[in-house]
Amino acid sequence: MTEPLIKFKHASLGYGKAAVLAGVDFEIAPQSFVGILGHNGSGKTTLLKTVLGLIPCLKGHFTSCGAQSGPPRFGYVPQKERLDPIYPLNAHDVVAMGAYRKFELFRRLRRSDGRDLAAHCLAECGAAHLARKAFSDLSGGQKQRVLIARALAAEPEVLALDEPLAGIDITTQKALLNLLGHLKEQRRLTILMVSHRISAERGLFTHVIWCDEGEAVLGPADAMLSGEKLGAIFKTEL
Amino acid sequence: MSQLLTMLKPDFLLHHALYGSVVMGFVCPLVGVYFLLRRLVFWGVALPQVSAAGIAFAFMLQGFGVHLFSGAESQEKHLAIIGSVLFTGLSILFLAVLERRGKGVSEGRLGALYALAWAASILFVAWNAAGETEMLGLLKGEIVAISESDFHAMLDIFGLIAAAMLLFQREFLLVAYDRDMAVTLGRNVLLWDVILYLIVGLTVSLGVMTVGPLVIFGFLVVPPMAALPWARGMMSFSLLASLGGGLSALAGFYVSYAYDLPLGPVAVSAACVLLGVSWLARAAVGLRSRKPASSILAKA
Repeated sequence: MTEPLIKFKHASLGYGKAAVLAGVDFEIAPQSFVGILGHNGSGKTTLLKTVLGLIPCLKGHFTSCGAQSGPPRFGYVPQKERLDPIYPLNAHDVVAMGAYRKFELFRRLRRSDGRDLAAHCLAECGAAHLARKAFSDLSGGQKQRVLIARALAAEPEVLALDEPLAGIDITTQKALLNLLGHLKEQRRLTILMVSHRISAERGLFTHVIWCDEGEAVLGPADAMLSGEKLGAIFKTEL
Repeated sequence: MSQLLTMLKPDFLLHHALYGSVVMGFVCPLVGVYFLLRRLVFWGVALPQVSAAGIAFAFMLQGFGVHLFSGAESQEKHLAIIGSVLFTGLSILFLAVLERRGKGVSEGRLGALYALAWAASILFVAWNAAGETEMLGLLKGEIVAISESDFHAMLDIFGLIAAAMLLFQREFLLVAYDRDMAVTLGRNVLLWDVILYLIVGLTVSLGVMTVGPLVIFGFLVVPPMAALPWARGMMSFSLLASLGGGLSALAGFYVSYAYDLPLGPVAVSAACVLLGVSWLARAAVGLRSRKPASSILAKA
């Protein structure tokens, strides 16, 4: 049986002493494509931040184990609005940041290695032509491609995306989802994707975590996205 | 022109002051780029004033007969350095802790700190009238009277600061641009914040001791602002800002020497002229690259 990549046991998650989610109890298997869904303020980002190690687990147990001992390598795609446009960075510079894991202090990679990796990841995301453009001048969809390329430059086992489709038109959303599906197969990635809506991406999910009323429940995508289940969550007949 | 050539000769009487100003001009903007990028420009206003309050506090202690070091002149200097570093360091720690908590109004805190530091400076001097002359010299910037040993100490410290800013640029940039990403890449963001704040504290303390709070604030903020519209990456931003600072300091020294004007305000004015030229040139480039309306209509 495959060892779980991420495991929560009776966990409470939140900030400071205030728990946003309680009784979190599930496991995520490698190479899953997990949608983290729920209303605004339901704890989706809190869950993702705990998985990434950005905030501690308040109670219970949380473990994550990668291919090598220790936590897995994460590639993180934040909400694009969080990145300040004042920085004079082009798309290539932003992607190169993903390779910083390899730059140990006083034992750095050759500059050309970092450049090659960034160029390769940009090309893999169909964004090679954006390399020299200012990141702040790119459209929403172009920024997401660059941020996904940056996450790939970290050579991740787990790709974690926070609302990657927010504020992006339908055509670009579909193109980005195709890209994610392709990357999952090519790189054998586990993908965790936060979203506050269910539309084009539902066909890609293998599993769904519903965050609602202080709880987070994981199940197979088919069951979790059935009309009956959604009706119960949204308290309406679907 | 002849005065400029005289200035650049090795036997120029004020060569320590000239080289010291130019080195300060090159190094301060390397630190200042992070004030701009992290949107901490008001730190640049408040911290030099806090540092000045620390120096005034040291003068006051001497007035009360506190003697920690032997030798009258070195005792005065060492106490001033300790006062400046201590006050600046504690203020940075206080601001950084509150900034990380993310509560309250950041600008309000800085405004209050600035007002307190200014009031404290005046009160500390009032309690020791003998320190008033030194404080006045400090506010104008005393680099013209810099001694040989102070000049070499300044070169060493500013050299280390410049080396650290360039060597650790990757880490400082990552932690400033995307803290969450830095954590997922295994970087210790607290450690890199502390290192950057230590460098800021050292730059401000040393700078205020040698050129005064006005010049330090000016050179931390103005050359990076002039460089930002032209920067095409972090390294070019840092180098352009540093070059702008160095050239402004040189131009300021020349005008100050040629027209017998106080060095600090002239150097800051030179940096502001550079900023104005940068903005005008950027606007001109923007106008030139904009396609004329007639060609757009023709395509339609």
